Amino acid sequence: MQNADAEALNAVEKELDRVIYKLKDIRENAAAEISDVATLMEELQKVLNQAELEMTGTINTSTQVDAPSDVDDPMAEEADMQVEMEPAKPRLNELQVKHVLETLQKANERLQRLSAEHRDLHGAVSKVGKVIDRNFVSDFTATTRIDALQDEENLMLLNKVMAKHYCRQGMDDVARLLIKESGMPEDMAQEVFDSESSFAEIYRIWKGIQQQELGPALEWAERHSEQLIAKNSTLEFKLHRLAFLQIMSRGISAQSEAIAYARQNFGKFIDRFEHEIPNLMGCFIYLPMGIDNSPYKHLISPQVWMEASYVFMKDACHTLGISKNSALSVVINAGCTALPALLNIKQVMQSRQVLSIWNARDELPIEIDLDPEYRYHSIFACPILRQQTTEDNPPKKLTCGHVISNDALHKLSNGHILKCPYCPVEQNADDAVRIYF
Amino acid sequence: MAEIKSMEHATLKVPYEVLNKKFRISQKNVDREMDQIHNITKDVEKIVGGKSILPTVTDVGTLVENVVQRIHVLKRKADESFSEEINAGLACKRKLQHLKIITFPDSHIGYDAWQASIEQWKMVRMDRIVIEHLLRRGYYETAECLAKKSDIRNLTNLDIFHISREVEEDLLNHKTLKCVLWCMDNKSKLRKINSTMEFSLRVQEFVELVRIDNRMEAVKYARKYFQGFEKTQLREICQCMALLAYPTNTDTEPYKSLYSGQRWKDLVLNFRNENYRLFQLSIQSLLSVAIQAGLSSLKTPQCYTENCKNLHCPVCQKDFNQIAKNLPYSHCVQSRLICRITGLPLNEHNLPMMLPNGQIFGQLAIPQITREDGAVVCPITNTKFSNPKVEKVFVM
Repeated sequence: MQNADAEALNAVEKELDRVIYKLKDIRENAAAEISDVATLMEELQKVLNQAELEMTGTINTSTQVDAPSDVDDPMAEEADMQVEMEPAKPRLNELQVKHVLETLQKANERLQRLSAEHRDLHGAVSKVGKVIDRNFVSDFTATTRIDALQDEENLMLLNKVMAKHYCRQGMDDVARLLIKESGMPEDMAQEVFDSESSFAEIYRIWKGIQQQELGPALEWAERHSEQLIAKNSTLEFKLHRLAFLQIMSRGISAQSEAIAYARQNFGKFIDRFEHEIPNLMGCFIYLPMGIDNSPYKHLISPQVWMEASYVFMKDACHTLGISKNSALSVVINAGCTALPALLNIKQVMQSRQVLSIWNARDELPIEIDLDPEYRYHSIFACPILRQQTTEDNPPKKLTCGHVISNDALHKLSNGHILKCPYCPVEQNADDAVRIYF
Repeated sequence: MAEIKSMEHATLKVPYEVLNKKFRISQKNVDREMDQIHNITKDVEKIVGGKSILPTVTDVGTLVENVVQRIHVLKRKADESFSEEINAGLACKRKLQHLKIITFPDSHIGYDAWQASIEQWKMVRMDRIVIEHLLRRGYYETAECLAKKSDIRNLTNLDIFHISREVEEDLLNHKTLKCVLWCMDNKSKLRKINSTMEFSLRVQEFVELVRIDNRMEAVKYARKYFQGFEKTQLREICQCMALLAYPTNTDTEPYKSLYSGQRWKDLVLNFRNENYRLFQLSIQSLLSVAIQAGLSSLKTPQCYTENCKNLHCPVCQKDFNQIAKNLPYSHCVQSRLICRITGLPLNEHNLPMMLPNGQIFGQLAIPQITREDGAVVCPITNTKFSNPKVEKVFVM
């Protein structure tokens, strides 16, 4: 796609990866460090417990507490110390106190350092947000009109369009929920289901073909056979070919069934597909070893099914005179193409202090380069004035066959005499005729 | 500018804000535990501080034991918090990777397969855009259902808006608790964007107390909660206090609207807006922005002229026709002509031909409207011409 997109995404990814990496690092580090500190403290606790036990055990006859000699933990020395104690209330001496305090201090410091380490990440985290803001557009104010999709009436119409779209896609339940949640009036809801019922059938059959189910498709093709032939469509033959191959792929046992199918169905295609049908018959040679292992294996590849579903969608929509894409998807996709261009021009115009590019005119400031399949109407732009023609300024055909706008014609004519700007024919300006595209 | 740069801000910004929030929460969690430990240390210092008597082993032992316990709590909390943060980061990354799909073609796949994957991506994009719009309109069930059917839940912000759904339902049931909690939860951010959400909630609670004629409680409530707002909301506070003097069925404004049930619905909308501002999302849904741009780029004067309409054109269809009414037309400096019979472009392979009534059709369509006897019927005006002169026209 576009380089700018890739750059923007990479910039965000770089910062995000850095944050994730550091976070993982901190998580690991924290786990180890806290465990470490915990062990330290547990040992201190153990020694204290022991000291307490031993001191209360040696009832004030001795003030000496013997340390377990095999312990070399940091508290070993403490146990060695002389502990001044009253009966049942053993006390620590100053050195021991100092040690306890030091250990606690150290633990606190280490933990604080962890917290600080995490806090330092703040810069990296908020950088991700900044990079997102810098590289992506969040402000659409100048490219929209507040009044277009604000009032409830238009928003409800939009709900209807969305419901229609999902009805088309066979997601009736989405459409139904939308109707319910938006409180769509009964008559509108009815229209949703009525309008798209013919497409819903097409969609179901299309899905069926993708799942290698041919019955409904064949039945549909049979019903519309004449129209399909009139359009020179290959659909019906392609479907029968797939059905035939489906039987063939069951192996040698299906041989007679396959022959019967071919006899019954291929007859009417013999003129139009004189090469394809012999090809199919050739498959019988390889039937014993399976078509998968034959030179004909391309005939049963998954792509053939994709192609059939595509041809079906295209030809069926054409036959019924309905569009392949829903209104909603056409408009959204056109919008996705138009938006970047509009945002671009907005930047340019605002930097030259031309305010509001949208509201002031009744035409977009630039031409949007849409896919040819999204062109539904002829537009004639006068080659002289570089303007679209309108009811007030219609296109006119000069006697030589060239077309210019009415305004241009008046500007170019001298009295009644007009010289065509494209060819050397002089003519009467009144002879030009209004034309309609 | 390119499509992703122009349209996908929210896709990345929302999960980023979640990450940011998680970051701050875990910092808070960790610091809180540290403080606890630090406090115990202080306690130890305190008992040791009395220099005259040394501390008993038992006392110190208990405190150290506390420290050990707290450290274990800290370990658990730190691990949980950091893991949540990492998950938030990964969620953000997942969306990023989805966007990257269409920027880098895989060199191993053919052109058709590449086109197919772009088509697929665009279908997903459309569902994503629709879901975002549904969420903004508060159609949560529909959004859930669509996300499930299209299997794109992890590419949407449904989970994030789950909370807002609960808050909204609470408000619609005339309860403020969840929304107040939400305000507390996002206090610093809301302050930064000058949100009046919390104040509106406090006013509503006050009004409800007055409504049930519990005016003493109302005054106490006002004393407790209105203080913080007097600098910015003094006028409203005065109105609230004056409300005490009016009965619930008053016709005097603004007291009538303060009592009105509509205020609850306004609170819901207010909350929704604030929530979007919190995530720094634009006021309009991307769907409505895209639809306006799309309609405008498709809109032609013919869409609004009877007998010039094209059934396949979305703008010619009734619903979009109405929505597009106030939008600008598409702009065009170069003629682009399409035959109204075949839908094919008019060019050197399909020359434009004129019938005697000035109607232009493509050369390829002329046989279709010519009868066997040579008569031609114009499909637009239904006029019949016997053996007409069909002239070529030249369009520059």
